[in-house]
Amino acid sequence: MKMAAETKVGEAEWEVKIPEKKLKDRLFFENLKAMVIDTQLCSRCLTCVSICPGGLLVNEEDVVDFPDFEDKCLDCGACVRVCPRYDYKPKSGLGDYIEFTAGQSKRFKGQDGAMGTEFIFSAMDMGLIDRGIFVDRDEQWRTSVFHVRGKEQLEKLPLGGTKYVFADILPELKKAVTFTKKGVGVVGTPCMVSGVRKLQEEFPIFKEKVKLVVGLFCTENYHYAEVSKYLIGKGVDFSKLIKTDIIKGKFVATMTDKEVKFKVAKLDDILPSGCSRCTDFTAVESDVSVGSVGSAAGFSTTVVRTETGKEVWDYIKKMGNAEVGEGKVEELDFLINHKKEREKNIQL
Amino acid sequence: MSGMKKVVAPEYNLSDKIKTHAYAIGTAMEESVYPHTATVLYPREKKKMPDNFRGYILFDPDKCISCFNCSFVCPANAIRMKEAPNNRYYPTIDYGKCIFCHFCIDSCSGGALRTTKIHDVAYKDVDEMFTSTEEMIEPPEIIREDKKSVEYVIDETDLHLKRKKERDGLFVEAVPPVEIPMVSQCVDRGSCLACKICERVCESGAASSVVEEATMTVKMAIDAEKCTGCGLCVKECSMQILRLVRVRK
Ligand SMILES: Cc1cc2nc3c(=O)[nH]c(=O)nc-3n(C[C@H](O)[C@H](O)[C@H](O)COP(=O)(O)OP(=O)(O)OC[C@H]3O[C@@H](n4cnc5c(N)ncnc54)[C@H](O)[C@@H]3O)c2cc1C
Ligand code: SF4
Ligand code: SF4
Ligand code: SF4
Repeated sequence: MKMAAETKVGEAEWEVKIPEKKLKDRLFFENLKAMVIDTQLCSRCLTCVSICPGGLLVNEEDVVDFPDFEDKCLDCGACVRVCPRYDYKPKSGLGDYIEFTAGQSKRFKGQDGAMGTEFIFSAMDMGLIDRGIFVDRDEQWRTSVFHVRGKEQLEKLPLGGTKYVFADILPELKKAVTFTKKGVGVVGTPCMVSGVRKLQEEFPIFKEKVKLVVGLFCTENYHYAEVSKYLIGKGVDFSKLIKTDIIKGKFVATMTDKEVKFKVAKLDDILPSGCSRCTDFTAVESDVSVGSVGSAAGFSTTVVRTETGKEVWDYIKKMGNAEVGEGKVEELDFLINHKKEREKNIQL
Repeated sequence: MSGMKKVVAPEYNLSDKIKTHAYAIGTAMEESVYPHTATVLYPREKKKMPDNFRGYILFDPDKCISCFNCSFVCPANAIRMKEAPNNRYYPTIDYGKCIFCHFCIDSCSGGALRTTKIHDVAYKDVDEMFTSTEEMIEPPEIIREDKKSVEYVIDETDLHLKRKKERDGLFVEAVPPVEIPMVSQCVDRGSCLACKICERVCESGAASSVVEEATMTVKMAIDAEKCTGCGLCVKECSMQILRLVRVRK
């Protein structure tokens, strides 16, 4: 974005195209609500919340909502422009890629090979970005979102590692985009990656400032209230919890003194409706996707998809920041198909 | 050592010696009859202060544009902005913290803050030193006992205290701010949401929007003739795509 140093009087006029309304004579928020939220399609990616200048938010029940929308919705249509599920075109499969590989960071500890973290910090070292958006958690494993600008922040906060609860990443990304000088890197689930791409399609500021999008493999995520209740019922003590993981169909909660294990299928009752209508396992729209399945323990499967992703991956290898492992494509088949089957839950 | 000047004691001849002795005796006699002081007899006398003296600070809400500059710049954190009944934010000063640097006055975009020559306010406790916006508008209650103003004059031989039978004024006109004509401009039109927040906050009617239902477009405009360069839209724009730019003449 270049800033004009001077301006001539009377030259500031521009046009903004707003989308068609599916429900005429209703506010755009009511359109979003009718088409996405009430139809249970909403993935809680919060793309809409990130862009809304009015007061769209995620309420106590963890549902996208707009109290007093009659008064406060500015009817700008930004929400429906960016919502990946408004004109939902479900994506699935492994997607295009340049390199299918695996990595283990030599610098960081993470969920698997800490490649999520490594990609952001290598991009920072390269000068591609000056901040990354990470998910932090409190003692009770409630998530909050953190702008990371230097490695020392990782020493104090549990920013790496998977939290199986939704996190409000995109609203923070929007803030970061207005602050950053060089650019921002973001790590998110496939629904968020799609949200970022929509934001980039619609608004040049996101295209210019979001430089690296790291996608995570994802079967599903959970609402805090529900999953925490379930885990406490299973004997999980949050103050002792150090890691949550899903390995071979089992949910594993590792505490300082013991482990709680059970079949993930047990969590089907609390599977969020948006996830049950999500078919993208590998974040096909990312610059690079990382996940657990498809590589040896201690490694992150790494799917390099775009030129940007490749540049950072090459840098990681050149600097020797990570051990390169082997990625096995066929190991992803089961979960890719499992998610593709969810197409049947989508009624458009 | 080279570069050093040698100090040579002046050589006095007899007539010089007599002259300086006479001067010394004369001064001694003068002082014994009519003693001079090197100090100001405050509060009966007051030193004459220069117009840029950094004293008690006064505030004019009509000139304040609530830009918060003063509170941001204050190195002692003495200024807090408080919401006034008219929904505007105005400064308050905690004189328990103020170090009288007057950065606030220098930074004031509207020329709403100004100095005075008041330097002798008494407070009964620390709480009282917190000065609300209302208290900043009018000067504090002043009881003046001074009848003379004193000026320090330095000539080549000595420092003199020049006393005048007049009172120095305590109030100084605010230095009018230098206006750099600025207008708001959109630097990334493609990222505009047409949320029209700029139009809502603009107090001079410069930002406007027209919705064309037929083509589903919104025509946004910022009229540079009407724009006062206050920067409210720049601050409030939800996409942060407005900037203040200098007007080309
Ligand atoms: C909800 C969820 C479900 C997942 N399901 C699978 C799965 O079924 N199969 C599989 O192979 N892999 C899955 N993953 C990915 C896997 O758990 C690891 O995140 C991935 O392998 C990267 O590990 P890492 O060590 O390279 O990353 P790390 O270096 O540990 O970085 C992890 C990154 O994930 C971010 N993160 C953590 N929690 C969240 C969250 N709730 N939302 C968004 N971002 C978050 C962190 O900010 C960090 O940037 C899932 C991840 C999440 C968040
Ligand atoms: S203000 Fe705009 S983005 Fe927010 S709900 Fe209304 S139409 Fe959607
Ligand atoms: S899917 Fe995402 S963008 Fe769409 S309504 Fe839900 S949270 Fe908002
Ligand atoms: S406030 Fe910003 S985004 Fe909203 S209409 Fe004005 S310029 Fe566009």
